[in-house]
Amino acid sequence: MKESVTTYLEGQIVEEDVEFTFVELCRASGASEEQLTMWISEGAFEPQGPRPEEWRFSGAALRRVRTAHRLARDLEINAPGIALALDLLDEIDTLRARSGRSYGRTA
Amino acid sequence: MKYKDYYEILGLQRTATQDDVKRAYRKLARKYHPDLTKQSDGEDRFKEVGEAYQVLKDTEKRAAYDRIGGQWQNGQDFRPPPHWDEGFEFSGARNEGSANPDFSDFFEAMFGGADTGVHSRQREMHTTRSAHDAKVAKDLEGAYRGAHFSASGQDHHAKVVVDLADAYRGAQRSISLQMPVIDAQGHVILQSRTLNVSIPKGVRAGQHLRLAGQGGAGLGGGSAGDLYLEIAFREHPRFRVDGRDVSLDVPVAPWEAALGANVTVPTPDGSVEMTVPQGSAGGRRLRLKGKGIPANPPGDLYVVLNIALPPANTENAKTAYDTMRQAFNFDPRANFYG
Repeated sequence: MKESVTTYLEGQIVEEDVEFTFVELCRASGASEEQLTMWISEGAFEPQGPRPEEWRFSGAALRRVRTAHRLARDLEINAPGIALALDLLDEIDTLRARSGRSYGRTA
Repeated sequence: MKYKDYYEILGLQRTATQDDVKRAYRKLARKYHPDLTKQSDGEDRFKEVGEAYQVLKDTEKRAAYDRIGGQWQNGQDFRPPPHWDEGFEFSGARNEGSANPDFSDFFEAMFGGADTGVHSRQREMHTTRSAHDAKVAKDLEGAYRGAHFSASGQDHHAKVVVDLADAYRGAQRSISLQMPVIDAQGHVILQSRTLNVSIPKGVRAGQHLRLAGQGGAGLGGGSAGDLYLEIAFREHPRFRVDGRDVSLDVPVAPWEAALGANVTVPTPDGSVEMTVPQGSAGGRRLRLKGKGIPANPPGDLYVVLNIALPPANTENAKTAYDTMRQAFNFDPRANFYG
């Protein structure tokens, strides 16, 4: 049999190695520019940089924008509602992590 | 094909009003939305609820569905009666783009292609093992529904399930993805492709791996989109993962906990020796610094001591327990009632 050499694609870990521009983040998350602008104006996302053209988002923003996009799409939640939902989801994560640490978790 | 009782799925009577349908859907959608629930079956339930709503919210589809009759049970084997939909006028292109990966066979047979709704844009992902035992993820990506024309290809998303050990050592995996593409006749078909991907050491669940240029093809010479793989860990019977930290329960004998001992502890990447300090209580957490996921900085491994009692199933064992009873003036409930 003929041996073939398999090449494996190397990816970047988005949360560690990637920074997004506004346009890139919209593209990667599926959210529209209008949506993301509204979520930012609600304080749900805080980009670095003074002007939209210079905005930079951390890689970790991708997950949150995707969540926001799905919630807005599936449940028709408006921008203030999205901002609130993201805050509450963060809080739930924090509480869950804390209770998992102090009581031990059942797998 | 199994019959789907859309009323039962939404918890409704057949006499429910359109307002009732919407209210029931919204309530269940919030309950089962994959971003809002940690229930493992949330995603499936959410799709089922979405499918039911697609039919019942639409008065034409609902009327056609009602015509099949209410004598069927959810999950019962079902064949649509011939010409069941005769005389019904459906809005929308009924026979085009009928592949919706999210909906049941029942839906596809009865209403295939008639929807342009919310859930058609959802993506679905299944993970199985291929014959080669490679980690296989199938991504049924709804990207083809993208509304705006663009010269660049779309970015795609898929989930990949890997073993915790892959994050400790790094790994190379073959991933099979399925995504809907539009063929020359304008029909949506599922296309499979296999990608060989390096899973980088130190990656954590919930992180995304970006593969440049592996997303949707560009149009008119535009560049291809990127593919984002969301990493999840396969459930492990022993290890629990919290971010970059990993924990596990380790059984110890009562005398090991009381007198101290050296025990061998398995980690996702080989075993390590650990000292159980004397006088350890059950449930004590011991930290093995840097033995968690080797991210930067690395996580820790937490060992939770689980005191295992030897059974008193021989005369010798019973005598030993009795000796203990006499040796200790010990009341485990001393401060229990007060």
